[in-house]
Amino acid sequence: MMQHPLVPAFAALLLLLGLQAVAADAPRPEQVQSDISTREISIQSNFTGVEIVLFGSIDFSKAPSPDEGPYDVIMVIRGPNRPIVVRRKERIAGLWMNAASETFSSVPGFYAVLASRPFRAIASEDTLKPLGIGFSNLDFGNADEGEAADDGFRASLIRLQTEHGLFQESDDAIGFIGRSLFRGSVDLPVNVPIGRYTTQVFLFRDGKLLSKSQSSLQVHKVGFERVVYMLAFHFPFTYGLLAVLIAMSAGLLAWTAFRRE
Amino acid sequence: MLQVYLPVAEISVNLLVMLGLGAAIGFLSGMFGVGGGFLLTPLLMFSGIPPAIAVATGANQIVASSVSGALAQWRRGNIDFRMGLVLTVGGIAGAVAGVFLVGLLNRLGHADVFISLVYVIFLGVIGWLMLAESIRAIWRTRAGKTATIRRPGEHTWIHGLPFKMRFQRSRLYISAIPPLILGVIVGLLASILGAGGGFIIVPAMIYLLRMPTHIVIGTSLFQIIFVTAVTTLLYATMDRSLDVVLALLLVIGGVIGGQFGANAGQRLKGEQLRLLLAIIVIAVALRLLIGLIVSPADLYSLAPVVAGP
Repeated sequence: MMQHPLVPAFAALLLLLGLQAVAADAPRPEQVQSDISTREISIQSNFTGVEIVLFGSIDFSKAPSPDEGPYDVIMVIRGPNRPIVVRRKERIAGLWMNAASETFSSVPGFYAVLASRPFRAIASEDTLKPLGIGFSNLDFGNADEGEAADDGFRASLIRLQTEHGLFQESDDAIGFIGRSLFRGSVDLPVNVPIGRYTTQVFLFRDGKLLSKSQSSLQVHKVGFERVVYMLAFHFPFTYGLLAVLIAMSAGLLAWTAFRRE
Repeated sequence: MLQVYLPVAEISVNLLVMLGLGAAIGFLSGMFGVGGGFLLTPLLMFSGIPPAIAVATGANQIVASSVSGALAQWRRGNIDFRMGLVLTVGGIAGAVAGVFLVGLLNRLGHADVFISLVYVIFLGVIGWLMLAESIRAIWRTRAGKTATIRRPGEHTWIHGLPFKMRFQRSRLYISAIPPLILGVIVGLLASILGAGGGFIIVPAMIYLLRMPTHIVIGTSLFQIIFVTAVTTLLYATMDRSLDVVLALLLVIGGVIGGQFGANAGQRLKGEQLRLLLAIIVIAVALRLLIGLIVSPADLYSLAPVVAGP
């Protein structure tokens, strides 16, 4: 039996239309979009820290009102990694000096977690761990040989970074503005390292990750700060030579200005 | 309020505090006629600057004060350039060794304790000697006696050494070995302490080399310029521990303070000045010692990993 050549094509078209109708009826999956208030942060000599605002929205939000949305949002801001050595003092011959130490190969220079409510209540540890959310889920790189079993170093690293404002965990730091808009703010302290920062925004519902969004910002030094930093770390000999010449001319200037002869 | 971020020290300091610190050291150095570096480095450490940076930056500040001091002495013809050159050669060798030592200890995490300890020993000994000497001098003048001064020119074992050189201005014909060794010791100390080392070299030149006192100050200032310049350059290149912003603040403060200090110094008697300086030196040594023996508030500390040279 010969079939009309258009029959299969017609059937396919019907099927496609039917599927689309089903998709339109079914709820569309939520998508999160986000951005940062500043894409570039310039450190000058008068830099005393800066507050950045992260904001985003949930597409296809099903929240009935801003106050009773089913969604949870977690934001993670990370600075460039660098190796850090943690040292512990001990009393040796009556003097307190650094004895044991542990080196961590990749410690984020800045790390902040913001959440719309206590983040450990948002999702299980098994969900948070692979996403690197929370101090306890951070990987600082393999500690070098030595007493790797000593937890004191890792705990102290986190504690000291927190004291310096470089590690932050803030619950209830993200607020919803409408059914789908939200914002959170984070303080970058005066001692933030320069480099590329990444911000990740995670959207959760009922402990499940629905969507995530990522963006980045650049922290760099400008003007005089940049010149000094570049010279000191990339052209140290020139930097030292300039420092000596400046001091010598200052001495010469002081002598000519205040000579008593 | 006028916070300045130090790019290398990676901390924020108050502009006025650092200018004031430079001025205070300049005032003291103008008043007592000493370099002041041996007080500057501990004071920087007390105000939260990491010791390695305090040392390197202190050395840079001394370049400025020794240049203006040496120029003034040069105009009065008080520099023995030949002696200065021999001392400088030894001094640079000592400075290189000192910078290597501090750099090595810094990477191992022991620079802080080492610098403090060397300071405690030197300031303690010198402060104590000065205190005893000035009290004796005050007591002697009260009793109406005149101080006995040792005459230079007496022959000692130093005069039996080979490689003799004629130092015209110092009116000496001695071996080059003692000033060379003296230079090495001073260079070593200057680079470890971030000071000029005048408090070591001046008495040594007077009592060991038997140089005329008026030549000693100028000649030591002359060699300090080069030793601290080399120290600054080496720390900047090898340890990245020089903070030029901090150095600049200290230099500016120092120049201003120095002028007032010189005037204040002329109104006080020599032994009173020495007593005052001795008390300051001992107080700084004690404060450093307390920092070494009192249990620290935090046993743990962080440091960036510094690559070797």
